[in-house]
Amino acid sequence: MNTTATSSRVKVITGNAAAAIAAKLARPDVVAAYPITPQTEVIEQISSFHASGEMDCELITVEGENSAMNAVMAASLAGARVFTASSSWGLVFMYDAVLATAGARAPVVMVNVNRETPGIIAVSSGQQDMISTRDAGWIFLIAENCQEILDLVLQSYRLAEDYDIQLPVMVHYDGFFLSYLSEGVEIPEQETVDRFLSVLESQPRRTVLRPGEKLGVGTHGILGGYMELRHKHVTAMERSKAKFEAIDKEFADIFGRTYGGQLEEYRTDDADMVLVGSGSMCGTIKSVIDDQREKGVRIGLVKIRMYRPFPHQALVKALKGKKAIGVVDRSLAFGFDGGPIYTELKAFETRLGGAKLVSFIDGIANTDITKTNVIQMIQLTADLADGKDVPEVTWVSYPEANTDKGEK
Amino acid sequence: MMSEVRFHGRGGQGVVTTSKILANAFARTGQFGASFPMFGFERRGAPVTAFGRFSDKPVKEKTQIYNPNILVVLDPSQKNSPAVFDGLLPGGMLLLNDKKNQGDIRHENLKKLAVVDANRIAMEEIGLPIPNTVVVGAFARMSGLLDIEPVLEALADYFSGKKLDANKVCARRGFEEVTTVDL
Amino acid sequence: MAEKKKGRLTKVLDYLKYDDPFSKGVAFCPGCGLELLLRFIPRVLGNDIIITGTPSCSAPVLLGQNKQSWHTLSYFGTLMTGAAANATGLVRYYKKAGIENTVVCFNGDGTANDIGFGNLSGAAERNEPFIYICYDNEGYMNTGIQKSGTTPYGATTTTTPFGTVHRGKNLRRMNLGLKMAMNKIPYTATATLSDLEDLAKKLLKAKKAKERGFCFLHVFAPCPTGWGADPADTIEICRQAVKTNYFPLWEAENGKIRMTKTVKKPKPVSDYTKMMKKFNHMTEEDIAILQEDVEYECCLLGGLSVLEAECRLPVSADD
Repeated sequence: MNTTATSSRVKVITGNAAAAIAAKLARPDVVAAYPITPQTEVIEQISSFHASGEMDCELITVEGENSAMNAVMAASLAGARVFTASSSWGLVFMYDAVLATAGARAPVVMVNVNRETPGIIAVSSGQQDMISTRDAGWIFLIAENCQEILDLVLQSYRLAEDYDIQLPVMVHYDGFFLSYLSEGVEIPEQETVDRFLSVLESQPRRTVLRPGEKLGVGTHGILGGYMELRHKHVTAMERSKAKFEAIDKEFADIFGRTYGGQLEEYRTDDADMVLVGSGSMCGTIKSVIDDQREKGVRIGLVKIRMYRPFPHQALVKALKGKKAIGVVDRSLAFGFDGGPIYTELKAFETRLGGAKLVSFIDGIANTDITKTNVIQMIQLTADLADGKDVPEVTWVSYPEANTDKGEK
Repeated sequence: MMSEVRFHGRGGQGVVTTSKILANAFARTGQFGASFPMFGFERRGAPVTAFGRFSDKPVKEKTQIYNPNILVVLDPSQKNSPAVFDGLLPGGMLLLNDKKNQGDIRHENLKKLAVVDANRIAMEEIGLPIPNTVVVGAFARMSGLLDIEPVLEALADYFSGKKLDANKVCARRGFEEVTTVDL
Repeated sequence: MAEKKKGRLTKVLDYLKYDDPFSKGVAFCPGCGLELLLRFIPRVLGNDIIITGTPSCSAPVLLGQNKQSWHTLSYFGTLMTGAAANATGLVRYYKKAGIENTVVCFNGDGTANDIGFGNLSGAAERNEPFIYICYDNEGYMNTGIQKSGTTPYGATTTTTPFGTVHRGKNLRRMNLGLKMAMNKIPYTATATLSDLEDLAKKLLKAKKAKERGFCFLHVFAPCPTGWGADPADTIEICRQAVKTNYFPLWEAENGKIRMTKTVKKPKPVSDYTKMMKKFNHMTEEDIAILQEDVEYECCLLGGLSVLEAECRLPVSADD
């Protein structure tokens, strides 16, 4: 969502700068990070805040991403508020620590600037890095624009550090399309952010590792002991859904902006057809929907803001009874006829009241999800609603894929 | 009404910053601006393309611009490149950084041409051939979408001290010295 | 003779000011060098240290199981890949919060020299204020005795077995201690279990030096199970490692290298190798290669200590 740009606190900044400013406003104790395109500007900005004294944190300029995650995880378990940022190969290089952080229930907050990860070295946007880490046990949130990046980072601290949750949160935003986009962002006052986060101080203190205490972190868990902790992890993830909705409402009261929690629904009330998407593509989809609505096409958008835990209850509620649903994926799932989010939604097809589903793959490797592409997706979804024969999956920007019989 | 602007220049000319300063200036008037570079490797001297969307309503689109209604060419050597005019909408405008209007710019959809000698002005004011702040001033005048004041205010987010003063002069001179012809 | 020996023993006991926080009969093999070292550290440094440990031979005892623990120390279970980075996160937060601490990052040679060397190197470069201790048993013992970067030339492991074509490890070991000392960190030292007073002094020096930054202790810790040695010989193996210059004892304060034990007449390395089965197959020529390696490293060390004395390195401001 865009802000009313009359306030003097509206600054035209990049998505990366929005992430860095949000981190500064949250007053972390420890920040550790390593540069990678297209995230680099985030840590450059934080380093600059640190150098000028605007940010009073321990800044650990590590020798690689793996150490960034290990450092913030340990600091977090010692009691710190922490922040880190990465992208693509960097996220993959910290993967063992990403898993350990989740298992240890360390309330780490990080941003991941989505970028492709396949072996074809693609310095380009795509959500395959997010998909490849989706069941690490982190809460995954996805931002659509620069304002939402800032707002989600702030909300993430409330979610991660909440006594009832205690889980790491990763805020994803599209590399290039958002990392380098400059647009107006309303930057809240420090006191307002302090007030929003102060709720955490009134909660019981979580267990932290301090010298001299007979306490350990990272016990070797087996059998029942292990399953007990894993099940607690699963239930905490499930609790985070309602908690995120509550935080969004509270955020609206304080900051005047609301997004709707796990999902944002755009013109879905009377829609026959819905596109399901996430991230920056949703802005373009909304603008196409506005045009299509003027032509009488009853189309809406469901934007996934919380991707892990998978918001299936909210999705079923939003999509039930629609004629046709087109799911847009910016990544691949191998062995399935369709993208990863499509495949996951498919598991709930029987609860959707007969709605038909179709998969669109687009926006990988920086392919622009253009208005023309969105119109094509809407047309195919409309065809499906009309009972026409539509392929289960369409690579929108690569028509060759739709005729490739798999000879090669 | 949304303006979709495409900027053409070379690495080192401040092409992306031109677009950012304009988005910033629009935001200062209660309007909305979004600026972003075309995605690729940036190298000093290589051709650079950037985009700007400026509107009185929030800008939702997050795609590159394929059908601009305004073109800004910071690098005169690209002025007749077909890539510059690609997708230009009827009634389009072009702002060109060049010594003078040499009368050689023609395109069926181009209705307005503005020329400013931004390199000369920049050399005189800041001693460097970086035309971008002259161009933002000229853009305000040519487009009629902005006054010079918000542009000057926006510059404070990118420069400070003597550099800010010199660049403000650049923008003001761009605003005043740009010449516009209807085609 | 007996009286002199008694005197030395008393001196070591003087350093053991704290209780042993480990329970009796923990899950280590008989004669385990790691166990002796692990019990020794908190008795010298205190029971308020935080010790970090990796999946390794130390894991069952250090990390405990479910809600059970073998000791009463504060501990942090790390991954092998990120041990020094975890320790970094702890000390940086304690610094920010003004909490006094002694964090001991306790790892085997597999973590220190191999899979976790990158973050060890990074922590040293950033001069992070904690004590990194590597117990070197020259291989990946917990997974069943595989080669590591500190496995010496000729030694057999399950990934460098004796065969008709290849006969044990055909590569030289890396000198982890020197690698670290070369970076002028506040304190680097080698130590072993035959010289406990030397080890105790070095632990205390490290505890003091970590106020100025990163400290690294490279401790030679035999693994009788993995090396094919008699569990009763652990200390004697350490003693022979020192006497043959296979594992010289030295320290480096701010990079200035000093021998803490000079071996006037070093014994041949075969006096050391004959104590264990992992070298059994080696011919005289093989032993000669190992001997040359030992002498090379010893010369290098001697040369560096002389060179640095002559160079008159500037004393750092906080010395």
